[in-house]
Amino acid sequence: MNKRNLILLGFALVVAAQLAVPAWMIMEREWTLRDGQVFKFKTRPIDPVDAFRGRYVWLGLEPGVVKMRDVNAWHYDQKAFAVLGTDTNEFATVERLEHKAPAGQAAVPVHVGWTDTKKGEVHINWTGLDRFYMTEQKAPAAEIAYREHNRRTNQTCHVTVCVRGTHAVIEDLFMDGRPIHAWLKAHPGDK
Amino acid sequence: MSKQAIQWLYHELPRLVAQGLLTPEADAKLRAHYGPIEPARPARLAVIIFGVLGALLIGAGIMLVLAHNWEDLSRPVRAVLSFLPLVLAQGLAAWTMFNRPQSLAWREGAGALLFLMIGASISLVAQTYNISGDLPRFLLTWALLGLPVVYLLDAVVPALLYLWGITEWACHLRWEDGFAAGYWPLAALLLPLLALWLRAGRYRVRPTLLLWALCVSVTVAAGVTIERVLPGLWIMLYAGLFALMFLIGEFWYGAAEGFWARPLRHFGAAGVLVLAFLFTFEWPWKEIGWNYWYGGRFHHPAWRAIPDAVLGSLIPIAAIVLLGMTVRRKTPLGLLFGLAPILAILGYALASLTDTYAPSAGLFDLYLLVAGLWLLVSGIRINKQGQMNVGLLAITALLVARFFDSDLDFLLRGLLFIALGIAFLVANIVMLRRKGANHEQA
Repeated sequence: MNKRNLILLGFALVVAAQLAVPAWMIMEREWTLRDGQVFKFKTRPIDPVDAFRGRYVWLGLEPGVVKMRDVNAWHYDQKAFAVLGTDTNEFATVERLEHKAPAGQAAVPVHVGWTDTKKGEVHINWTGLDRFYMTEQKAPAAEIAYREHNRRTNQTCHVTVCVRGTHAVIEDLFMDGRPIHAWLKAHPGDK
Repeated sequence: MSKQAIQWLYHELPRLVAQGLLTPEADAKLRAHYGPIEPARPARLAVIIFGVLGALLIGAGIMLVLAHNWEDLSRPVRAVLSFLPLVLAQGLAAWTMFNRPQSLAWREGAGALLFLMIGASISLVAQTYNISGDLPRFLLTWALLGLPVVYLLDAVVPALLYLWGITEWACHLRWEDGFAAGYWPLAALLLPLLALWLRAGRYRVRPTLLLWALCVSVTVAAGVTIERVLPGLWIMLYAGLFALMFLIGEFWYGAAEGFWARPLRHFGAAGVLVLAFLFTFEWPWKEIGWNYWYGGRFHHPAWRAIPDAVLGSLIPIAAIVLLGMTVRRKTPLGLLFGLAPILAILGYALASLTDTYAPSAGLFDLYLLVAGLWLLVSGIRINKQGQMNVGLLAITALLVARFFDSDLDFLLRGLLFIALGIAFLVANIVMLRRKGANHEQA
């Protein structure tokens, strides 16, 4: 093989690898969105900025606390799997935390925040599900609208998440039972 | 020999021949030996700089436009769009490789654009699917996918971007309490390229630029890749690192001229002087050594401390070996800056064994004073204004720091500042006059 062909082959491999990474990211998520089980999480949107990926709202998913018998088995920043269930209002609950991914159950990777040994509680951070991207005008509007409405009407905001095994993808953010983009269009004055 | 030195030589040759110091044959032989000087082509350089700047601006612009987040577009459309800038940049890189392989401007520009578009593409997918911020993983993926671009296009701008990526990755990983020693093998992936460039011409712009970037990157990485289980290890590590940089610069890049052409020498020297200044305070020496071992509080596996042992011993040892070679070469500045790691080890031993801090700080008071005086005097003797001013600056910093430590009244402090200011002015005026006189004589 001459030098030109060798370079061509090298370049082709590099191009393939560069395309494969975003392609795999897309496929993995599309698969979860198509086949995953949908969970509704109560949440609270806050608006920060990401230099690389644009504006997003930070989601504080609930529940943020899990009652556990073995509180001492968990420490700060430890990775855990939150095994999901649903309550009577169809909102997601965390049944328990596991050190390893449980087979055949929907479980989302989370990080342990702090532990309260007296109350037997473990605080968790939903590190993989804390962003919802929006335009630079709508992200702060979503946060303000939530804050205002929550104070006046005590209505909740929720997010739907598709879970396939331990892989979770955010589907949409809802305010007052409607997708956030539709809700903001219907309430242009609530900013 | 550097281009500037050859230029100077060619400028001198006619005079030397006229004065009878050289025969015309010797003149011809010297010219044949060093060859013709390539004329500087400012237009070509401008094309390269503007090509790269253009690529960087377009790349940054595309990233910002994507960051705007087109929520009205459907997911499949956004997925296709996320590939578009990447595919276009790949096409441009391919065109450059096969149609303009000799054009540095095209290679640098296309390389920079492709590197940025890899990041843009991953970012847009992350945005479309609300993927959370695992920043270290994103940076590492981006850097690794961009590394082959450096080699395929033989370009320095993607190499600088790669270096930025892995340094940023190491810092973020450290911030998240991760294990960042992977920086070193990742940085070593640039060494074959550096070796190729150095072989082609040690004093050319591209290896010099990469060496400057490596100096900054390695300095940051040395701090973030150690686990700090042994308090104060950084003292010996950084003293060794800066001395090593200086000595390598002094040994292998001696013929370069001008400040920017000698990255290792100047970065190393500045590092040693700043470090020596910090070491004149007592805080670096407090609570260091085996008695304050972090072992009990270290909740990671013990192997994570291996880089500490490797870096903390290898770098100062390498510097000391080079110092030994310097002693044989009898270069006073090499000796002066090369001594820093030995003094750091001595200071460290003193502070950790006796739990007293003043002797170690005093050692560096003395070192900085001697180094400052040496640079000042030798700078005056060999007519190097920069060196003289660095010496003066070192002495000034030392005196000011010590005077603020002590309880002297404002009058005395004021008088000290006036005296230092006068010293700076007088020394520089004398130096300028002397240079002017030399110029007139010539």
